[in-house]
Amino acid sequence: MAIHKILFASLLICLLIQSSHAATKERLFSDLEKSALEVTATPSRVGEGVGVDKLSITWKVSSTATKEPEFKAIKVKLCYAPASQVDRPWRKTENELFKDKSCPHKISSWSYDPAMKAGQSFDYTLERDIPTGTYFVRAYAVDTKDHEVAFGQSTNEDKTTNLFSVQAISGRHKSLDIASVCFSVFSVVALLVFFVNEKRKAKIEQSE
Amino acid sequence: MAHRNEEEGSIGTSMHGVTAKEHVFSFSDQGEDAWSSHSVQSDDPTAMFAFPVDSEHKAKVFKPLSFAKPHMRAFHLGWISFFTCFISTFAAAPLVPIIRDNLDLTKTDIGNAGVASVSGAIFSRLAMGAVCDLLGARYGTAFLLMLSAPAVFSMSFVADAGGYLSVRFMIGFCLATFVSCSYWTSVMFTGKIIGLVNGCAGGWGDMGGGVTQLLMPMVFHIIKVAGATPFTAWRIAFFIPGFLQVIMGILVLTLGQDFPDGNLSTLQKKGDVSKDKLTKVFWYALRNYRTYVLFILYGFSMGIEMTINNVISEYFFDRFQLELHTAGMIAASFGMANFFARPIGGFASDVSARFFGMRGRLWTLWILQTSGGLFCVWLGRATSLPIAILAMMLFSFGVQAACGAIFGIVPFVSRRSLGIISGLTGAGGNFGSGLTQLPFFSSSRFHTADGLSLMGITAMIFTLLVAFIHFPQWGSMFLGPTSDNRTSKEEHYYVAEWTEEEKLQGLHEGSLKFAENSRSERGKKAAPDGTSTPLENENPANV
Repeated sequence: MAIHKILFASLLICLLIQSSHAATKERLFSDLEKSALEVTATPSRVGEGVGVDKLSITWKVSSTATKEPEFKAIKVKLCYAPASQVDRPWRKTENELFKDKSCPHKISSWSYDPAMKAGQSFDYTLERDIPTGTYFVRAYAVDTKDHEVAFGQSTNEDKTTNLFSVQAISGRHKSLDIASVCFSVFSVVALLVFFVNEKRKAKIEQSE
Repeated sequence: MAHRNEEEGSIGTSMHGVTAKEHVFSFSDQGEDAWSSHSVQSDDPTAMFAFPVDSEHKAKVFKPLSFAKPHMRAFHLGWISFFTCFISTFAAAPLVPIIRDNLDLTKTDIGNAGVASVSGAIFSRLAMGAVCDLLGARYGTAFLLMLSAPAVFSMSFVADAGGYLSVRFMIGFCLATFVSCSYWTSVMFTGKIIGLVNGCAGGWGDMGGGVTQLLMPMVFHIIKVAGATPFTAWRIAFFIPGFLQVIMGILVLTLGQDFPDGNLSTLQKKGDVSKDKLTKVFWYALRNYRTYVLFILYGFSMGIEMTINNVISEYFFDRFQLELHTAGMIAASFGMANFFARPIGGFASDVSARFFGMRGRLWTLWILQTSGGLFCVWLGRATSLPIAILAMMLFSFGVQAACGAIFGIVPFVSRRSLGIISGLTGAGGNFGSGLTQLPFFSSSRFHTADGLSLMGITAMIFTLLVAFIHFPQWGSMFLGPTSDNRTSKEEHYYVAEWTEEEKLQGLHEGSLKFAENSRSERGKKAAPDGTSTPLENENPANV
């Protein structure tokens, strides 16, 4: 009888794990409707500089989109091209949407209603914390539950066309450099002063 | 009322790092210009110190809450300097998620910089003992602090992976403060308590690796809030460890004192600071196979600890999608466990020695280090945050206590070359850190999680080397002491480090005394030996 109890308990546990697993709902990128949105992104010049240069972005709902009635909002994001993902596992593309790290930079989001089928076009000034790299733009359409249902991107499926590069700020400042040199010099000089002083005192005492 | 103490210190007083029960120097003048506020009863009636001292004026008690000159002050200046250097060396680690975007780093770049950050100290730790002999503990410490501060400040210039690696490499040299700190406490505290004192100094210094994981994200956040962009804010944040180093350097030079009786320059003119020959000391260290075993073992306790300091914050940030400061907090608790974990390890080693002698110490070390490795494997396997944190805490306790336990064994491996061996052991820690970071965390070959598990398995395998540490007089993990009447005496082991010529000059006296004291490592079987052997009957020769 004890064995039956253990088996039953383990079955219960397995079921619980199973159901909780399902509850996390692994929404996959491959399930999304492709090319439901047509997205274009045009840099104002080659080798965009952050904080200064703009991207002209347009998105509109494609005529082939089937899930259009579910759209509640459009989220536009800046995504890494494969070249910027090499040897950088923190930018990896994953099929499970919650794990995917290839589109971390939010550009903007728009509440969607059917009147907006013709889309939007706007300018986006690159944020100052965008790193150097090669990028494309992707727009996700989300439903009322904030789950992605469709997307469109400014490049092709293999992410080889229409990529643009961004040049980040270095973060360096002249004032910082000068301060750094000053404190370094102070540190070395202070040490030498102490050292020489003490040697001199010892010599004086010795000669007495 | 100057009382001249004519007793000459025994040769073989090379203080290259941790020393346990050596006689140091002979010092004459106590002098009226005594620097302590009030004198308490002490064994040496001519000394005017705040604590009871022995005949070398080393303190016989350890009061962590006191700042009295010169002993406790030296202790605090020493461990805080070491602590500050740990902060600087690992300051980049919690900020890597920002730095990697600013400098466009790859995983390989980050890993290589991590290896570089611990590699410099392999050499600086070896050289540090000699430097302290030459310049005294104060200048040894101050040189490290104030000459590596420019490296910390120069993070503001870094523009690419190469620059990042070079700067981290140069900052890493200052980890040699481990040696200068041990040197300083060894001249200030007597042999009976030096284990505890060094355990505390080592553990509290190591805490810096944990504190930095909290401090740097916090400073970064404050600077960002004050208006700087992220890519500038992290550079400014590095000024904080830089300032700390400069301030500590100045404090060490103004408040500290090389020896209980004064500073090196003042004392050098008074008495001869007799030293052993460096080549001989080195030779006996290299000849002893246990040196190499300890080198490797410390590489897989302290080495792993330093590797984790470099990778754990980024690991939690990426794997569990945490905020930068949350990841930092978790990473910090790894390093902060050092506060009690390392002293407890040393204490456990001492307690096991009371019952089982040296064999107890070896088993304690093996148990602690292996369980550390085991929990490291678990940490890599953990997929949920609470389990990962639990595994990490148990892992931290295991490896840090193992660090403390190793230095319960180091003082007994050699008496003549004690300083060099503890310097080499310390260097082994850095070597192990570089060795584990290179294959497991510097390429995209392994996920960081797998890297952690593999590192744990490697650690457990190498920890089996503890079984090979055998002392003829005390045994090893699986073998008892030899039955041979001659070689099973402690004296035989320690006096074997001196040539016949040197023995004739009586240079080995210190080793004899040490051998007698080390009989405690026999455990409960240690019979207080009242009869003196022929060797011990020799009068100290006047050299």
